[in-house]
Amino acid sequence: MKQENIRNFSIIAHIDHGKSTIADRILEVTKAVSKREIKEQMLDNMDIERERGITIKLNTVRLKYQYKNEEYMLNLIDTPGHVDFSYEVSRSLAASDGAILVVDATQGIEAQTIANMYLAMDNNLTIIPIINKIDLPSADIKKVKQELIDTFGFKDEEIILTSAKTGEGIKELVEAVIERVPSPKGNSNKPLKALIFDSLYDSYRGVLTLGRIFDGTLKVHDKIEFMQTGGVYEVTELFVYNPNFTKVSELSSGEVGYIVASIKTLADVNVGDTITLENNKCSEALPGYKKIQQVVFTGLYPTETNKYNELREALMKLKLNDASLTFEPETSEALGFGFRCGFLGLLHMDVIEERLEREFNLNLIATSPSVVYEVLLTNGEIIKVDSPQKLPEPGKIKSISEPYILTNVFTPSEYIGSLMELCQNKRGIYKNIEYLTPERAILHYELPLSEIVYDFFDKLKSISKGYASFDYEIIGYRPSNLVKMDILVNGEIVDALSTIIHKDFAYNRGRVVVNNLKEIIPRQLFSIPIQAAIGAKVIARSDIKALRKDVLAKCYGGDVSRKKKLLEKQKEGKKRMKQIGSVEIPQDAFLAVLSNEEIND
Amino acid sequence: MISSVYIHIPFCHNICTYCSFTKFYYNQDMVKKYLISLKEEVLKRYKGEEIKTIYVGGGTPNVLTITELEELFKIIAIFKLSNDYEFTFEVNPECLDYEKIKFLKQHKVNRISMGVERVNSKFLKYLGREHNFNLVKERIQEIKDIGILNINVDFIYALKNETLKDLDKELDLLLSLDVPHISTYSLMIEEHTKLYIDKTLEIDSDLDYLMYDLIRKKLISKGFKHYEISNFAKSSYESRHNLVYWNNMEYYGFGLSAASYVGNKRFTNTSNLNKYINGNYIKETETLSKKDKISYALILGFRKIEGINIQEFNKKYNVNLLELYNIKELIKNKNLIIQDGNLRISYDKIYVSNNILVNFVGE
Repeated sequence: MKQENIRNFSIIAHIDHGKSTIADRILEVTKAVSKREIKEQMLDNMDIERERGITIKLNTVRLKYQYKNEEYMLNLIDTPGHVDFSYEVSRSLAASDGAILVVDATQGIEAQTIANMYLAMDNNLTIIPIINKIDLPSADIKKVKQELIDTFGFKDEEIILTSAKTGEGIKELVEAVIERVPSPKGNSNKPLKALIFDSLYDSYRGVLTLGRIFDGTLKVHDKIEFMQTGGVYEVTELFVYNPNFTKVSELSSGEVGYIVASIKTLADVNVGDTITLENNKCSEALPGYKKIQQVVFTGLYPTETNKYNELREALMKLKLNDASLTFEPETSEALGFGFRCGFLGLLHMDVIEERLEREFNLNLIATSPSVVYEVLLTNGEIIKVDSPQKLPEPGKIKSISEPYILTNVFTPSEYIGSLMELCQNKRGIYKNIEYLTPERAILHYELPLSEIVYDFFDKLKSISKGYASFDYEIIGYRPSNLVKMDILVNGEIVDALSTIIHKDFAYNRGRVVVNNLKEIIPRQLFSIPIQAAIGAKVIARSDIKALRKDVLAKCYGGDVSRKKKLLEKQKEGKKRMKQIGSVEIPQDAFLAVLSNEEIND
Repeated sequence: MISSVYIHIPFCHNICTYCSFTKFYYNQDMVKKYLISLKEEVLKRYKGEEIKTIYVGGGTPNVLTITELEELFKIIAIFKLSNDYEFTFEVNPECLDYEKIKFLKQHKVNRISMGVERVNSKFLKYLGREHNFNLVKERIQEIKDIGILNINVDFIYALKNETLKDLDKELDLLLSLDVPHISTYSLMIEEHTKLYIDKTLEIDSDLDYLMYDLIRKKLISKGFKHYEISNFAKSSYESRHNLVYWNNMEYYGFGLSAASYVGNKRFTNTSNLNKYINGNYIKETETLSKKDKISYALILGFRKIEGINIQEFNKKYNVNLLELYNIKELIKNKNLIIQDGNLRISYDKIYVSNNILVNFVGE
C-alpha cells in the first residue's frame, strides 16, 4: 500500500454520544463486516462496555475503501472514552493523524468533548466534527452546530451530520477522512521508530503490543528494543485486525498493527514507549512517554474468606489485559485477607469491581477508597501512603499533602450557583468560569481528589438534573490539614473503617458515620458503643442498645422442625456478617463510611 | 419408647386474626370424614405402647358436638393409658358448656387448656375472639366444679396499642381465675393470618421485653414457677405433655398437619384436608443423624428455664455436653450457666435465646 493512501484516525466523543456505533457503521460502509455480523458496538469487547456504553480497552481495525479509483487503507484507532484513561487516549491520538469529533445532536458539547478535543489539538490532529443522532426528535442541529462554531472555531461547511442509527452521513464521513486527514509522514527507509499505544493479552498468542510505525519497517524475526524500559524481544508474529486477526510479514511506515514478541506480561509493555530495532536504533524516542500512575486505591476483600485465592486469580486474569490495574496482598483484622488495588480513577475502580463480581462471580467488600498521600516525616523523608493503615503515627508526621485536581465542570448556566456551592463544600478553590455560549459554561475549580472519590459525581448529576458533566486533571500535591479518623466498635478500632480526612470535616463525618453504623449494625446481646476518634480523642459517639428480644415464643410438637429451620436461617444471616471482636458487623457497614448522608431510619 | 400422643382437630367456628395453625370452618360432613380417617391413621401407626400423656389440640376440639366427641373418644380409647396419665383437652370458652365439660371428665380428660387470650373486650376483638371475660370466669368455675383442677389458660400480650398498665391490670384479673398454669405468648404476626395480611407490625421490641419482664415478675410473685420461656406453673402443675417436646422425647402426632417424632425420624402430616381424608397422611420426613438429635435436644432443652440435666444428656446421647459446639465459650461469656447439675441459659438471656441457640444448628 502506498503510504499516501493510508489514513490513521480516531474517534473522540463524550460518553454516550455514539462513538462506538459510528465505528460500527464505518465498519459496515467499508464492508469490513456485513450488516448481519454487526453486533451493537463491534469494537467494544466486553459486555460491561456494551452495557455502560463506554469503551475501556481499545481496539484498532484496518479497513479498505475504494475512492475515486484508488484503494485506501483506513486504520481506525478506537480510544477509551473516559477521563480515567486520558493518557491512553492521548497515546491513541498520538498514533493518529486525524480524529472524528462526535457530538450528540441532542446534548451538544460536554466536558469530555472538550477534554478530548484539547488532547487531539495537542497532537496536531486534523479534526472532522460531526453531529450524530440527527434522527432523534429532540435533535437540535442548529444549536449544536453553533456551539461547535463558537467553541472550537469550526466552519459550518466542515461539520458533517450523521445518524449512526440510520447510516445517514457515514459514507460522506468516510470520504471526508480520506479527503481531509493527511497521510502519514514517515520514511520507511529510516531506522524503525514505532509508538506503543496499547497492549492486550490473548490467551493463544500471549501479549499483543499495538503499535504505529512512524519510520522504518518492522519484520517478523526482527529484534526490537523498547527504548524507555530497555527490554529487547524478538518479533515472532505480526498481525492486523480487519476485524479478524490476519498475519502479515511486515509493517511499514504509516501502518498500524499488532506485534507478538516473547513478552511475558503486559507490565513489560508500557503505553507511550517507543519501539526501535536493537541493531539499528533511531536517534531519539517519540515524545510524551509517561509511566501510568494509579490515583485511587481501595482494599478488596472476598465476603467469604475462603474465596481469597479465587480473588487473586481473578485479579491476575484482569491484569493480563489491564496493566494499569495494580494489586498487592493486604490484611485487615476486620476483613481478613484481601488486596490493596490501585486504579487510574473512579470509573476504572467501578469497572474492575463490577467485572470481579460479574465475570468471576465473587462477592466483595470494598473498603473506603483512598488517594495517594505524600507524607513528610519529621526526619525529612517523604513517603507515599495509599491506605489509612499505612499512615505513620502522628508524632512522626510533619505534614501530609494530597493530590489536587483541576475540574472542568461543563454545565448549563442555570446550575452554576448550586455547582459552585457543591465545589465549595468539597474544599474547592474557585478558578474561573468560561462561557461557551450564554447558556453553557465550564466551571474550573481546584479540588482535592479525595473529595470527589465519594459522592461528587452523583451530587453533580443530581444538582444539574443530569445535565452537567465533568472531567479532571491532576495538578499536583498540596499540603492539607489531614488526619486519620478511626472508627471504634465496642472499643476496638475496625481497621477497614479508618479514613484519612480533612480535620475540619472530621467532626461532621464522624457523626454521620457513627449514626449510620448504629442503623446498620443489628442489636446484639450487649450494648455496643460506636465511636469516631482522631488518635485518642473521641469526636463522635453513638450507642447500639442491647438486644432485648430474640426468641421463639411458642414451640410445641408441630412447630419443632419449623423452628429449627428458622434458627438455621437466622444462622445463615449471621454467617454473612463479619465478626469483629465480639460484634457481628454486616457488610453494609463497610459502605457506611462512604456515605456523606445520614441514613433515615 | 413412645409414651405421648398429640391429636389435632382442625375445625373452628370462627377464625382468629393471629392464628397460623391449620384449621377449617366447622362442617359436619367434613368432621365425620375426618374422624374416620383419623381412626385409620391411629390404627395404622400406633403400635400399642403405653401412653402417659395425650394432648388434643386444634383448631378448636370442643367445637365438636357430643356425638362427634363420642366418635373421637372411641379413637382415643384405642390407646393404652398408663395409670399415671395426663390427658389435656384444648377448649375455647364459647363452644363449651357444662354438659361438654362433664363429658370430657367422664372420658378421662384430666387437664383443660383454655384459650382465654385477653380480658379486655377491645383486645379480644382485635384478636378476633368472640367470647368475653365473664364467660371465661363461668366456664373455669364449671370446670373446677366438675373436678378438673389442672387448668391452663393461654394469654397473648404485646398487642398494638397495649400499654404496660393494660397488661398489669389484665394479669390481675387473669390471676383471679386461680388456675395453676398460665401460658403467655408475645403476639407474633405470622404469614397467612389476617393481621399479617393487614400489614400489622409487631410492637417495639423494647416494650415487648418490658411486658415479658412484668409478666414474669408478677407471676413469680404469685407463686408460679417460670419453667419454660412462655410457661408458668404452680408446683407440680407443669405440662407433662409439653415437657416431652422440650425434653426431646418421642411422640406420635395424629391428624391434619400433626408432627411426630418416632425413632430416627421427625415427620409432619399433610395440611391438605382432602389428602388427609384420602389417607395420604405424611407430607415430609426428616431423618435424624446423631448430630441432628443433639441439635434438637439443645434448642428444645434450653427452652426450659432450669435447662438441661448434664448427666442425663450425656448418658442419653453418649457425649459430653460441655464439649459440644462452643458451649465452653458460652459458659465463659456467662450466656450459659451451670447450676445444680444442669446447664441453662442465663436468666437475663432467656428472651434473646435465639442468639444463643443459633450456635447449635446448621454447619
